[in-house]
Amino acid sequence: MAESDGSLGRAPASEKGGEEDKDDDEEEDGEETERERPRPPGSSEGGGDERSRRMIRNQYRELICSVQQNREDMLSSKSNRLTEALEEANQLFRGVSRAREAALDAQFLVLASNLVKEKANELRSEITTFDSVTFAEDVLTFMGINRTEVDGNNCDSENMSGGYLPSNAWYKLGEEAEKYFRRAPSFHYMLGSFKSEPPVPRQRIERQRKAPGGEEKRAMPAQLKKMEESHQEATAKEVERILRLLQTRFRNDPCTPIFFFDLVVDPNSFARTVENIFHVSFIVREIVETYEITEPMINPPNSSEDEMETA
Amino acid sequence: MSQRKRSRGSGFTQGDDDDFSVVPTQTPSQVQRNLESRSQEEINRKVTELVQFLLVKDQKKIPIKRVDILKKVIREYKDVYSEIVNRAGRTLQQVFGLQMVEVDTKHHIYILTSSLPRVEGENLKQDIQTAKLGLLIIILSFIFMKGNSAKDSAVWEFLRRLRVQPGEKHEVFGDVKKLVTEEFVRQKYLEITPIPLTDPPEFNYQWGLRAAKETSKKDVLSFVAKMQNKEPSFWISQYNEAKANT
Repeated sequence: MAESDGSLGRAPASEKGGEEDKDDDEEEDGEETERERPRPPGSSEGGGDERSRRMIRNQYRELICSVQQNREDMLSSKSNRLTEALEEANQLFRGVSRAREAALDAQFLVLASNLVKEKANELRSEITTFDSVTFAEDVLTFMGINRTEVDGNNCDSENMSGGYLPSNAWYKLGEEAEKYFRRAPSFHYMLGSFKSEPPVPRQRIERQRKAPGGEEKRAMPAQLKKMEESHQEATAKEVERILRLLQTRFRNDPCTPIFFFDLVVDPNSFARTVENIFHVSFIVREIVETYEITEPMINPPNSSEDEMETA
Repeated sequence: MSQRKRSRGSGFTQGDDDDFSVVPTQTPSQVQRNLESRSQEEINRKVTELVQFLLVKDQKKIPIKRVDILKKVIREYKDVYSEIVNRAGRTLQQVFGLQMVEVDTKHHIYILTSSLPRVEGENLKQDIQTAKLGLLIIILSFIFMKGNSAKDSAVWEFLRRLRVQPGEKHEVFGDVKKLVTEEFVRQKYLEITPIPLTDPPEFNYQWGLRAAKETSKKDVLSFVAKMQNKEPSFWISQYNEAKANT
């Protein structure tokens, strides 16, 4: 919007500015030369200077013109156009060395200050009726402030320190505020009933959040890798040990089969047993291929053996 | 809008971030054709995923970017993007009474707003969000009543009257300064812009895009009126402005 306005304002402005410039030059030429006369040595340099001065004048006129044409926009509290224009003038003023340009700068300032005054007037007529101090007091009352009786309402600083707000004050106000919002009630998981099968987006949010933590991240994988390696090694070693154990067992006694549970169960340690089964599971294929594995059996309770034992 | 259709066709690269920002402009017939090449089940799954994604994203009230939707949910279903979004919008509307609103048509940012009228005693859950909303409406009221824009010093001076100090840890809000200048801004409830040529820097507080969608000048004026026990028309210029906006 600002762009289009600017270009809109600029096209006629430069034309007009050019005309004005000509007029001005004709009108003020006499004055100008008179003023410049007492400065003979810089005559050639003065030509270049004149060109840049003309440019500055032109720019000032453009600016003034565009401010005048976009009055409404300048006055609107939604835009920063006036500030931008002031900044532009500020830039231009850096190149100003002579009274004539300075006069234009002043002309612009007069225009700008008039606009500002207008704006200020508008604001005053609009806003005097809104008194933020009484509004604050009314809000405090709504929140249920407990004012001490000593506290006078006339003194600001005392007002601010006096009075005691109940702990639910802001909640009370928030509850009221909710009536004025079409805010979507946010949904939340109840005790993670949805978490058993985590929804995809949730995971992503977490991953996103983790991403910035660079330092921590760098250390973590290295550590993990190491752990996994040593763990893997330990497992491999253990598996090999068991395989070797089996091999020597069958080399020494090639005829008798070994009962699977005898090999695996440690009657004194459940953990050890589980570990053994885990390790053996790695070489099950080799065992099945090389050695024959007889299926370990658990007899049903009503078998004769069982009866014999209970008897 | 997105006239660059370079991502269409076979050259679909997963890693290219830019790729996701380009949504092919699809004509209804194109989408229809693309739809036929996908199974209904797949499309429905994507719709469900998107609904879930939007709901979860909305928990924090941070606006949802279209780029994220494309990157995280739609992925290789870009050719039927508009259909998926439409259906998800319908589901949100019919099942949850929520509306998907595009607050920024340039950067394609969406928020969810409730399309159902509020009922007395509807919110059974009162938490910190409730309290934050209280603080928010106070700030929005102040900005609107002061002519749609207020300097940071004025806002904080006003908040100090309500026992909210920017430098102190508030018993309800904790770091209030952070809540106001970061969280509310990120959620697009507030817009804070530095005022040029000020030293030390000063800032202008204005309503954010979400504030304009979730509430209105009229609502905020009625809030102020209720607090002050007056008719909204008491502030005639604000009243006229609010009326003109609806």
